[in-house]
Amino acid sequence: MKRSFITVAVIAIFLLFFISCYYDNEEALYPTLNSSCDTTNVTFSGTIAPMLNNNCYSCHSDATASFGAGIHLQSFSDVVTNSARVVAAIKQTGPYPMPPGGKLNSCSVTQYDIWVRNGMPNN
Amino acid sequence: MKRLTLAFLFSLVSLMIIAQDDLMNLISQDSTSEINYTTATFKSTRILNGHSIERMAPGQLDVRISHRFGTLNTGGYNFFGLDQSNIHLSLEYGITKWVMIGIGRSEYEKTFDGFAKFSIYRQSSGARVMPVSISAVTTIALKTLKFADQSRTNYFSSRLAYTAQILVARKLSEGFSVQLTPSYVHRNLVATELDPNDIYALGAGARIKLSKRISLNGEYYYIVNPKTYMSQQIYNPLSLGFDIETGGHVFQLFFTNSLGMTEKQFIGATTGQWKKGDIHFGFNISRVFTLKKQKRPSNY
Repeated sequence: MKRSFITVAVIAIFLLFFISCYYDNEEALYPTLNSSCDTTNVTFSGTIAPMLNNNCYSCHSDATASFGAGIHLQSFSDVVTNSARVVAAIKQTGPYPMPPGGKLNSCSVTQYDIWVRNGMPNN
Repeated sequence: MKRLTLAFLFSLVSLMIIAQDDLMNLISQDSTSEINYTTATFKSTRILNGHSIERMAPGQLDVRISHRFGTLNTGGYNFFGLDQSNIHLSLEYGITKWVMIGIGRSEYEKTFDGFAKFSIYRQSSGARVMPVSISAVTTIALKTLKFADQSRTNYFSSRLAYTAQILVARKLSEGFSVQLTPSYVHRNLVATELDPNDIYALGAGARIKLSKRISLNGEYYYIVNPKTYMSQQIYNPLSLGFDIETGGHVFQLFFTNSLGMTEKQFIGATTGQWKKGDIHFGFNISRVFTLKKQKRPSNY
């Protein structure tokens, strides 16, 4: 009796989860994202470092670089050293597209590109 | 004296063999009056990445530790991918004869997952003939990776993805089993309008027994959705490897082009390509603990 109750409960919980199906995509859900992309005030401390912090440091901080093939992206000089690799990785044109969970939003990729083309200033 | 002992031993062995024959006869005579369920269609609850029709017997806990390393084409400097690793831990438990549940955590996208597997039919002969075993699996994956943009309104639902699979398997002979796995994956949030929220795939898997303890396994998922227009190029996951059984453990060692280990990840987000060498070495280790003793030996 107790067993069948557990079984029914398990099935019910899994069915409940299916009720909350959404058909969202980021373009439609956040339509202002592209126009609000700040491409003029791109700085290392204000734009690039937070982006790296949010997306890369689970494998590429100084503490976790052993998971990320020994590639460090924490200090400014490390980011400059690896900048070409990062460009290929986040544009997903190279052999090792990053982040592994899916492409960054286009605003972040564009901002990184702008920062590199500005000569990678430490601002 | 030595020769005598040997002769004695030989006669013992042959007697034992004859006795075994008698037992086999008894079993075959009985087979028409009771249901003979097919056992060990696969060695483990996974073929390699995906679920097999096997499930835990009631009261048994399966502790699974899985790794996928980096790709082989990262070269000798990264020790062909072994420097990078991606881990999945899970606890899986048989509740009744036909239901098992499991919870797990992937490092990839910091994902928690839960699943329930229901055995609907079991392949059997004798009094009831059933040509195939059929199971159903439902999975929920909860991505807990921080949202890239913290300033926008982020929804909890955006973190969830679901999978539903029907597993149809047949053990064709003692050493050869096959499985077909029609699968449906739903992601609540995708990157662009071009990316489908629903992914349909047809999986196929097989197991060839090489020896008592080792079998060769293969698994492939064909993704039905057109893949050309997605914002991220994905490929069909293919995995090839071995099951090795050592006492209470099952080791699965294999190569795959998928980094993810849950259905949502390997069906919907396999970015590696075999022909380019984006091949990950991976293993699953399964250790089964009996938490609740069965009252009587069951015919699993």
